[in-house]
Amino acid sequence: MEQSNTLLDVKKLEVSYGHVDALKGVDVTVNQGEIVVLIGANGAGKTTLLDTILGINTPRSGSIQYNGTDITGRSADINVREGLTIVPEGRGVFTSMTVTDNLLLGAHHNMHESSDKIERVYQWFPILKERSDQMAGTLSGGERQMLAIGRALMSAPRIILVDEPSIGLAPIIVNNIIEILVNLNKEGYTILLSEQNAYKALKIAHRGYVLETGQVVLSGTAEELLEDPAVKDAYLGA
Amino acid sequence: MEVFIAQVINGLSLGSVYVLLVTGFNLLLLVALIIHFSYPQVVVLSMYISWTVMNLTGNNIILGILAGILSSIILNMAMAPIFQRVMRNRGQVDINSTLVISMAIGMIVTDILSHGFNRGFPISFSETLAGNQSSLTIGLINISQGQVYTLVVGIIGVSAFFWLLYKTRSGRAFRAIAEDPSGAKQVGIPLLRTGLASYALTGLLGGVTAVLLAVLLGSASPGLGEQVAHKVLAVSIIAGLGNLAGGLVVGLGLGIMEALIQGYVAGSWSNAIAFIILLVVMLIKPRGVFGMKL
Ligand SMILES: Nc1ncnc2c1ncn2[C@@H]1O[C@H](COP(=O)(O)OP(=O)(O)OP(=O)(O)O)[C@@H](O)[C@H]1O
Ligand SMILES: [Mg+2]
Repeated sequence: MEQSNTLLDVKKLEVSYGHVDALKGVDVTVNQGEIVVLIGANGAGKTTLLDTILGINTPRSGSIQYNGTDITGRSADINVREGLTIVPEGRGVFTSMTVTDNLLLGAHHNMHESSDKIERVYQWFPILKERSDQMAGTLSGGERQMLAIGRALMSAPRIILVDEPSIGLAPIIVNNIIEILVNLNKEGYTILLSEQNAYKALKIAHRGYVLETGQVVLSGTAEELLEDPAVKDAYLGA
Repeated sequence: MEVFIAQVINGLSLGSVYVLLVTGFNLLLLVALIIHFSYPQVVVLSMYISWTVMNLTGNNIILGILAGILSSIILNMAMAPIFQRVMRNRGQVDINSTLVISMAIGMIVTDILSHGFNRGFPISFSETLAGNQSSLTIGLINISQGQVYTLVVGIIGVSAFFWLLYKTRSGRAFRAIAEDPSGAKQVGIPLLRTGLASYALTGLLGGVTAVLLAVLLGSASPGLGEQVAHKVLAVSIIAGLGNLAGGLVVGLGLGIMEALIQGYVAGSWSNAIAFIILLVVMLIKPRGVFGMKL
């Protein structure tokens, strides 16, 4: 890989919650234009990694480089301003606020041309336009996931961290969401995706990392991982 | 009937003061994540500062009003680091520890008022500010100018606040933090800075309230803050902690109720009766009439 191509470079990252060591020296890189998938069981540390990259958690040691700049320990609001954004686990939409308000929250740091941005989100997700004045709490799971993705787009990101988008959704909706991620990637958005649904995620990804109890145990191109016996055994089911 | 109408108007103007105070209290609860039940005491401190400035400037009303509002904003902003430092030292948002800080602030303020101003005697505001002598008369109903001012400014203040909350970028951030602070952080809202803005806004609301109380009551004493603080806390809990619309309804309700008790029963009983009603409501509706928003 060319060095100049690297958008995100995580090195030897260690994060702990009190006595729990959630990440024990994780190295992950994401190149401009890629979809990279993090595979791992419950508690492997996927959410911790994504949240720490965004600036929610402060790492105990290690570094995070974004676009050539060291952003280790920088706060989330600055990182969002600089083009990182997250689609949180469980969507994280604000249920007592309208769809429009939820979208505008994504553009909190830069309301410039926010109505154009909203129109673009509505082009991606026409259903959100129909629901624009509805409380987000009245949306279905799939619609909430679209809202969370739409909100992330409102921040005009370069890289979107997507935390287990398929959780709790029907297979047909999952396919829908996965397709949207592919299309977003084609539009130029770089995506770092965490998934337990390893097969579907690897099918669309360029590369992947397998996380187990806070460590990367395997990494490679998506094709390699799909063929890997250990991955097949542990994550792809039969 | 005339007594009734007059007392309802009287009650609405008193109620709008409660509403402003409850709104400030709830805003701090929802956005700064603190319980600052001594906030009305700080408002009374601003009344005293306003009074002092008017005394020093030969009853310059404009300067007095400015002093009340500005001091309230500054006092509130100055308290923010104390609250935030304690929360950070405890490693989490911790409502209980903020309660202790608020209690301390309340005690200190009351002591300052008892020893630092007018040798502890109640203060009276200039008649030109209080506007009590010239009154509006409609038929048999007498309404003081002060009541009219309070009501009008109260309505404008509360409307402006709700406009800000529901129609502006900062208001949206306030509501997001109120619903889910960690979710708000994830979408990139700066919690500290937005929290600080809520202290400033609460200070502004408090400053306006300080002036309105001066206009409405015409006087203040060191014990006023505590008395009002109890009522504001009661209104907030009866309405449902953090419920802004509920606070509006219950705040006006309390004002009207007190005025009616004063008009028909005996004024000195209004506190006891108000708090008996609080107890009854707490028994029937443990989570408040309109539900908690936390
Ligand atoms: N706030 C917290 N306090 C203490 N421990 C935590 C906290 N958050 C996560 N952990 C622990 O850190 C480890 C990693 O958790 P994390 O949520 O990152 O895993 P995950 O891969 O996202 O799991 P899942 O697939 O269930 O979402 C787990 O052992 C978890 O119990
Ligand atoms: Mg997770």
